[in-house]
This record gives sequence, C-alpha cells and structure tokens, in this order.
Amino acid sequence: MTATAPAVDPAVAGRTTALEWVDSNGFPTKRDEAWRYAPHRVLAELSFGPPVALAASVPDIDALIPDLGGPRIVVINGVVDVERSVLTGSAGLHLSSLLEARSAQPDRLTPHFAFGDDQVSDAYMALNLAFGGDGAVLRVDDGVALEAPIHIVDLEVPDESRNASCIGVVIELGVRSSATVVETRIGVGADFGGSNIRTTITLGDEATLEHVLLQDVPTSHVHLSNISVHQGAHSTFKARSFNLGAAYGRVAYRVDLAGPGAHADLSGLFFGFGDQVLDQQINVIHSAENCTSRQSFRGVLDDQSTGIFNGGIDVRPGADGADAVQSNKNLILSDRAEINTQPRLEILADEVACKHGATVGQLDDTAMYYMRSRGIPANEARRLLINGFADQVVDEVGIEAVRSWLIQRLGHRDV
Amino acid sequence: MLHVKDLTAAIDGKTILNGLDFDVAAGEVHAIMGPNGSGKSTFAHSLAGRDGYEITGTATLDGANLLEMEPEQRAAAGVFLGFQYPVEIPGVNNMYFLRTALNSVRRARGEEEISAREFLKVAKDAMDVVEMKQDFLDRAVNAGFSGGEKKRNEILQMALMQPRLAILDETDSGLDIDALRVIAGGVNALRGPERSMIVITHYQRLLDYIKPDFVHVLVDGRIVKSGDYTLALHLEDHGYADFVNHDLDEAPKRPLAGAPS
Repeated sequence: MTATAPAVDPAVAGRTTALEWVDSNGFPTKRDEAWRYAPHRVLAELSFGPPVALAASVPDIDALIPDLGGPRIVVINGVVDVERSVLTGSAGLHLSSLLEARSAQPDRLTPHFAFGDDQVSDAYMALNLAFGGDGAVLRVDDGVALEAPIHIVDLEVPDESRNASCIGVVIELGVRSSATVVETRIGVGADFGGSNIRTTITLGDEATLEHVLLQDVPTSHVHLSNISVHQGAHSTFKARSFNLGAAYGRVAYRVDLAGPGAHADLSGLFFGFGDQVLDQQINVIHSAENCTSRQSFRGVLDDQSTGIFNGGIDVRPGADGADAVQSNKNLILSDRAEINTQPRLEILADEVACKHGATVGQLDDTAMYYMRSRGIPANEARRLLINGFADQVVDEVGIEAVRSWLIQRLGHRDV
Repeated sequence: MLHVKDLTAAIDGKTILNGLDFDVAAGEVHAIMGPNGSGKSTFAHSLAGRDGYEITGTATLDGANLLEMEPEQRAAAGVFLGFQYPVEIPGVNNMYFLRTALNSVRRARGEEEISAREFLKVAKDAMDVVEMKQDFLDRAVNAGFSGGEKKRNEILQMALMQPRLAILDETDSGLDIDALRVIAGGVNALRGPERSMIVITHYQRLLDYIKPDFVHVLVDGRIVKSGDYTLALHLEDHGYADFVNHDLDEAPKRPLAGAPS
C-alpha cells in the first residue's frame, strides 16, 4: 500500500454530485411505481437545506418516546443534541454523532454516502446525501452481544428558517455480534414540516440485529424513512416498523441478503386516521444462496386514510435455494379508506420457494356479535378487535418498554 | 322468568320461527330437541340478539322485553348463549376478553368492577369447574383451540358471567365422551334455584349427563310436543318422524310409548 491520500469527508465530497443528480433527474412523480400514491404537491412544499440548530426551546422529549434507559443519541432538526444524548456506551459499542465520525474516520462512512444508481433511488435520497451531514453512527465490535437497546431519537421542530431536516444513521455490526436498535421519530407543533432520514445498516457474518422503527411525527409533518441493509453470511436482520404518524409517512426498506444463509424478517404495522397516507416500500433482494426472508405487514385504515404496501422479492441469478414469504393483511374501518397492496416478485434462480398473499377485510361481524353477547358494548368490542389485529405486530417486538409504549400509543389495553 | 309468546323470526323473508310459545321458570332446565333446520339455533340467537332477523312476538326475561335490547344489554339482563361454533378472535387475549366481558356486565348493572387480581381468583375457581389449566387464559380467544377446548371456554364464560338464563346451543356437537362428561359436569355445577337453562341438542346423548326437567320438540319453527325426560328417550328410539309431516309422509305414526300426553 502506498501513502494514503488525505482523508476526504464523503459528505462534503458527495454534496455537489447529489444536487446535480436532483437537477438532472428531478423529483419523483405519480408515474414512478414507488411513488404512485405519494402526495407530491405536499412533498413539493418541503424546503431542504443544511441543518440549522433549533432556536426555540426544546420540548420534553421523554414524554413522547419509550423509556429504554441505556445509550441514546438525540437529533433535533438534523443536529445531534449532545446534552440530551447518552453517549456512554459499553465495551464493544462505539456511539458517536455522524458529524464527529466524519472527521474522525471519514473513510468508514464512504458506503453511507456512496453515490451510485444502486444507492440513489430518488431525489429525496439524493437530498439526504447532500444535507444529511449529522445523525448517528453506531458500531458494535466483533463477537460482542449488547444487552441494552440503543435508542436513536429524531425530533423535528419546524421553524421559520426551514421546515425539513435530513439525517443519516449508520449501523455496523461486527462478525457474530448482536444488538437491538430503536429509532424513534417524533416532532412537535402544528406547523408543516418534514424529516428525511437515511439509515444504512451493515451486518457482519452471523451478526443479529433487531431494528425497531417508531414513526410517530405529527400529522402536520411529512416523514421519509429509507433503510438500506447489507447482510453478511448467516446474519439475521429483524425489522419492526410502526408507521403511525405524519400526513405522509413513508418507510422504505432495501435489504440485500448478500451472504449465503442470511435471514431477513421484516414485520410492520401502519395505522391510519384522517387524511393520512402511510406508505411501505419493501425490497428484499436475495443475492446469495440459501437465504430466507419474511415480510409480514399489517394495515389498519380508518376515515379517509390511505395505506400502501409495495413489497418486492427479488431473487437474483445464482441465489439458489431462496425461501421467501410475504404477507400483507389489512383491516379497513371506513368505506372512504383505501389500501393499495402490490406484491412484486422477480425470480431468476433455481429451487426457490416463494409465497405471497394479501388480504383486505372489515371487522368480523360474527366476532362483534360474539363479544357483544358477552356483554361487551359495541364500541369496546370494536376496539378490542382492532387492537387484537394490530397487537399481533406489537407482540413481535422483543423490547418490553417499546411494546408498552406502542400499546399506550395505540390506545390499547389498560394492563 | 323467561316468557316467549308467538315468536316469529324470518331471514330475507324466509320464516324460520313460526309462532313459538315457550316459558321457563326459575331453576328449571329445558331441553329443546328437533331435526336439522327446525329453528333451534335461530331461537337461541333471537334471544341473544343476533342481527339480521325480522322478529315479531314477545320475549321477556323477568318482565324486561329482550327483543328491544342490544346483545350487550341482554347479557347484562342475564342472558348467556353458549355458541355452537364459538368464534375465534386472534390477537385478543382470553383473560382480557373474559375480564372485559365480566366488567362490562357489572358496569351495566351498576356494580363495582373487578380488579385484575380478584379476577384471577374468580377465574381460577371457574376453570376448576371445567378442568382447564391456567395457560388457557394466556391464549387468544378460541384461536387454535380444539373443538373440546372451545366448548369448555364457553362453559368457563358461563361460570364467570353467572347468567340468569343460560342457553346452550348444541354444546355437545363435536365432543368426545370425555369432553362431554367435563362439559356436562360444568353445566350441572352451575344449576341452581335462581338460574334457568335451555339446552339445545340434536341428540339425546347430552341429556344422559344433563338431566332436563322438560323436553320440547321443535319442528318447523314451532314447539310441537312437550314432555318430561322420557320424551327424549322416545326420540332416541324413534327419531323425529312422528312430528314431521312433510318429506316423511310415508313414515308410520307411532304411539309415543312412555311419553306423557
């Protein structure tokens, strides 16, 4: 190896390219499959730019998020709030702000800011690369099993100077390590605003990550989540997504099963009221042999809300022995609510087992009658049935504090 | 206690109950038997308040008009229906469901609600009656239950609700002899001077275990014959042919040996 060139900050290096990309490719439209149901006029109101620290006083964050104890990084309007963060990790855990990591080890962040068609799917992601200079970086050393969940909290407080933030989150798990990460996205105020968060996850061989996403920004906001996962051999990625808040809440996963025997298990709940549009864009790519994947998403849609499940399974040539299952079940509570569910399967390998199914239903009349015949009033029976449907996703979360936060948030049981 | 007079029920214009008269006094156990399609289940559900029937006539429990009430109000008034096909409710915890049911009825009656701790105690006693294990409470309501477990769950609910009038709709269907014994044991344990029961069954077998005070034969939406327990024995030997005039016209009319006239 020759002398290394001076380290270049990949975030700075890529900014111009990213903005040029936006200029030449433009923003997505209804003609783009992955953006067909997005409210493009609302999205056009977002003004992205470099992060500006919040001038107003910070609201009480702890009242809005689950209490996980342990290490956490709090990001407010795109800037890490060191005071509210708990950066003391444990042995084998390295936690820092993205800004700090950019100066300390810029080379290691190149994959996160890498610019290519494979990474950049649309203008919003390009904007994230251009302006998402701060956020969280979390690394777990080889062989380390972390007990305490790590919390990454994003708070969005729109003000006059800007209304949208870009944030980057980088999660790297070493070989045979394991961790649980919870990303909670919240906001305050009735003003229009938005957050655009890109998470890149790299799992070493045999690593295991449970990644929980709690999207609960106000319905005056727009939220764009983009989670890109690269899995090593025999690694396990568990995604638990709760897409609850926002006028338009978008959760996009791109999971690459790159090492043989890797396993991805994605489940999620979207629960819409009012005029909410809740969008799940899932792409699971089997690129290595004998990988398994599961997608299991549930939607509950009330009032005139809209849900989208666009779930892709892509089995690449050579990814023989792939085993992929996808399911999307929806409960429609109003005749004005809408669900758009679409499986996309592309299978270019041999000996592949692939199953998918989608259901759309209403509350079961027989179950309603059964419960009422036991004395349970109609509105309570309805609540129990809806919660029963949703709780089956809540129950998939391994962390008790998150489950109880969700149960509270969804207005569920009193126990 | 229960007073039913000239009850008719129709679905989509098709008459199923056709002027049914039926009275039950406190503490009595009445069996209703009849061929398939005679209206047994419709009678049960029209008392419990299922939607979709056009109903005329009267049905009162302790003087209160059941037909004007919502299903949950009937439950609060003391009606309990053990379903022939208990409904599976995935995702709803059985214990939570049972406690919600019990507290809903208590609230409706102006009684104090029961705490989680008290409930566990009450539930344990009730579970002993139907020989159920504790883990039963932790599962989702009827989801993945065997046929016998579902029926035991119905009797458990009855034991918890302590109804004034229990209607058991084909509780014996799909049960093996051991499960039948447990279920019948549970029902018998709940018999009392203040509680009445209507046991609906197609077969006499259940009545070997739950001995009724009266037996009625329901055909074409009407009670065509009433008697004591020996009427059930007669039906076991001779079937319903004596009471069914259509479709079985050539069947010989036999005297009702042993049945009171």
